[in-house]
Amino acid sequence: MTKMQFMAELAARLSRLPREDVERSMEYYGEMIDDRMEEGLSEAEAVVAMGDMDEIVKNVIGETPLVRLVVEKIKPKRALRAFEIVLLVLGSPIWLAVAISLLAVFFSVYVTLWSVLIGCYASVVGGLFGGVVGGLGAAVLFMIKGSGVSVLLMLGGALCCFGIFAPLFPCLNRLVVLTVRWSKCFLHFVKSLFVGGGEQA
Amino acid sequence: MDMQLKRGLLDVCVLAAIQHEDSYGYQIIKDMHPFVEISESTLYPILRRLEAAHLLDVYTREYNGRLRKYYHITEAGQARLATFAEEWREIISIYQFVTRGGSAQ
Repeated sequence: MTKMQFMAELAARLSRLPREDVERSMEYYGEMIDDRMEEGLSEAEAVVAMGDMDEIVKNVIGETPLVRLVVEKIKPKRALRAFEIVLLVLGSPIWLAVAISLLAVFFSVYVTLWSVLIGCYASVVGGLFGGVVGGLGAAVLFMIKGSGVSVLLMLGGALCCFGIFAPLFPCLNRLVVLTVRWSKCFLHFVKSLFVGGGEQA
Repeated sequence: MDMQLKRGLLDVCVLAAIQHEDSYGYQIIKDMHPFVEISESTLYPILRRLEAAHLLDVYTREYNGRLRKYYHITEAGQARLATFAEEWREIISIYQFVTRGGSAQ
């Protein structure tokens, strides 16, 4: 592939991005190819040295905040005609409401996910303290009263609670890590929706 | 290696490559090469991130009839490197302890 072909493909794949981002990455890769050629590589070798195009595109998009992608997508590419502006304004109760509710849905799903996790933590802590401390406390009380069997019962209960709830902690921690990772993947997926189809553009 | 950890480490590596002297993209890759391999597509987001965090500045100079971007480390960037060195001094002494076998069992 020649340098021009590489740059053209890169521009096409990134066409949905804000112009500033496209220019910056084109300058960067153009410079890199030139540097490699100066070192003695042929044009084709220099292009190959840049690596996989999918990887390159992924890295450029990854650094662009989602908000910029969205703004770029909805920005009109040409001057709006009068009737289009009128339509936009008249239709705003509809598309505005839809956009807000979509955002609200995403937001509430996300908040629910984290609320569930926090709730789980709360129950584990509750179970741990309630069960263990309660059991120990009751055991002490029974010891004072002198009924040995009840003491053993309470101690056993406290131990059970500990055994049940304590191992849940590392499980929950792992769940949190996974949730964070999934959020990142999901964000990248959403971004790719805004940029995907660059070749069709 | 944990990806998050590696990303953070690569950021610091790039800063280290320009800590004594301004440099440009390909030169940074070459400087890092004996120690850690990094590709152009990996370096790009790192440079963008560092610039956004004001740990480095970018300027353009003419070279051989074309334009080349140079990267210059900022005060904040130097501070980041110092923090890194401090954190890892401790990690290294722990590593030495662990690999020497520690106290007799």
